[in-house]
Amino acid sequence: MAADMTPRCAALLKKLSEADFFALDLKLYLDTHPDDCEAIRIYREAVKQAKACRQAFEAECYPLRCESAGKDGDWDWLCGKWIK
Amino acid sequence: MFIFEKRTQIPVVIKNRNPKLASYILSQYGGPDGELGAALRYLSQRFAQKDKRAIALLTDVGTEELGHLEMIGSIVSQLTTGEGARSFDRYGVGDYYIDHANAVYPASASGVPFTAAYIQSKADPIADLMEDLAAEQKARATYDNILRMCDDPDVANVIKFLREREVVHFQRFGEVLDILQEKIC
Repeated sequence: MAADMTPRCAALLKKLSEADFFALDLKLYLDTHPDDCEAIRIYREAVKQAKACRQAFEAECYPLRCESAGKDGDWDWLCGKWIK
Repeated sequence: MFIFEKRTQIPVVIKNRNPKLASYILSQYGGPDGELGAALRYLSQRFAQKDKRAIALLTDVGTEELGHLEMIGSIVSQLTTGEGARSFDRYGVGDYYIDHANAVYPASASGVPFTAAYIQSKADPIADLMEDLAAEQKARATYDNILRMCDDPDVANVIKFLREREVVHFQRFGEVLDILQEKIC
């Protein structure tokens, strides 16, 4: 729950949700419109934004993907809010 | 393959407890038109599709549905966190407590356990896509029913988001059906 989360982390998570959702929705559109060059360009930009948001959250809060865990020598994959 | 990310598609934060509402929403976890059935349906049907656009869409929508399954589980879990036997009983869902207590179990609102009999996978691209279109509408209708029963805004906001996704998936499946039918002609 966001109650386990600082307001700053909750805000960073919301930004990531929005950015990543935009990319996900575009991906479904591109599955049926693979020739839409403008949409592909917007998709690449959306993915870049989402990646930056994910990095910002993980730098200040906790790892979202296991590949980001253990950077400081601690097994911080266990940290943060699990799906509850 | 799948990569787990420790977050939901949109944040799910439910402040109030309500085991009765949880028992209704559980239907979208393991019920006849729920997210588990949706994910299994699309992720199974994709193996027999030939058109790359159909394969990609079934894979991507099926993956999104797995994420939705997790969101529904999260709502059910949060609505029942810390509630005991007497509370479940007062809310009229003592029977669920007897079998599963505070656990999340894939069953329908009326208690029928999840079954793969809810889905089909026919290796017939048109038959499968027709089922998928119907499935999205049935899921959307179930979310409408849940919204009629739900006066908790924290829950309703997530349900409205999931309802909208069914509409988008319906649109995309319709586009793939058009593509395949044009190829046949």
